[in-house]
Amino acid sequence: MLRACKRLLRPAGRVAFYTIFVPSGLSQAEYRRAARAGPAAVTSRGREQADLLRSAGFTGVSEIDVTEAFLRTTRAWYEARARYAGQLSEAEGEASFRERQRDYRLQAQAIESGLLRRALFVAERPR
Amino acid sequence: MTRNKDTISRFHDRYSLPVTDAALAVEKEVIGANVGASGYTTVAQANALIPELRLRPGTLLLDVGAGRGWPGLYLAQETGCRVVLADIPAPGLATAVKRAREGRISDRASFVRAAAEHLPFLSGVFDAVVHTDTM
Repeated sequence: MLRACKRLLRPAGRVAFYTIFVPSGLSQAEYRRAARAGPAAVTSRGREQADLLRSAGFTGVSEIDVTEAFLRTTRAWYEARARYAGQLSEAEGEASFRERQRDYRLQAQAIESGLLRRALFVAERPR
Repeated sequence: MTRNKDTISRFHDRYSLPVTDAALAVEKEVIGANVGASGYTTVAQANALIPELRLRPGTLLLDVGAGRGWPGLYLAQETGCRVVLADIPAPGLATAVKRAREGRISDRASFVRAAAEHLPFLSGVFDAVVHTDTM
């Protein structure tokens, strides 16, 4: 996908993305727990996003960690949705509402345990 | 069903739900927006993208995995840039089309139903690309 982004950008064009990822250096068991707890799109492991950007041909790669904000936002989704449980359950369906609440809870635990991170990556297509 | 297809199906179902007042109130409280978004990008984090992507009037931005249009439409609204929103679930894009109309930026917003891996655009046409938690 990063190579596709680079292809679409004009020279000196910029890409920026927030992404949730599993940090390097986890055991197999920790990785499995992280993959289960994170959003379905979380697949990256091992090679850091910054390295992937450089491999795709981007320059000026920067990374800003936003994991603390990610934890706050995950908890906030859980807590705010819990306060509107009746209305949201009616709209989403009881089972779906409960499943999403469980997912937020597991995700918050995984972030607290250092199994999930979120960061903003920015890079430029060379001129 | 593969994990990817499962994800697409899940978002299709989620975007098919009506955006209720309760959902908007929760979203406003959590990320500061009220557009039907359900991710982790707050308004402050969306604002941080503007200088990083050097967005300004006339800039052409591609939002990959745009969902209901957050943050792509917001960035277009705030900066005057043009935006192309690309995603697979049609219900999300339909909401984004409606929002662009309501926000009076339809003339600067385009919508394409496409996967991130197969984006149907010519090379070198965009000034900036953004995506939020789509990979």
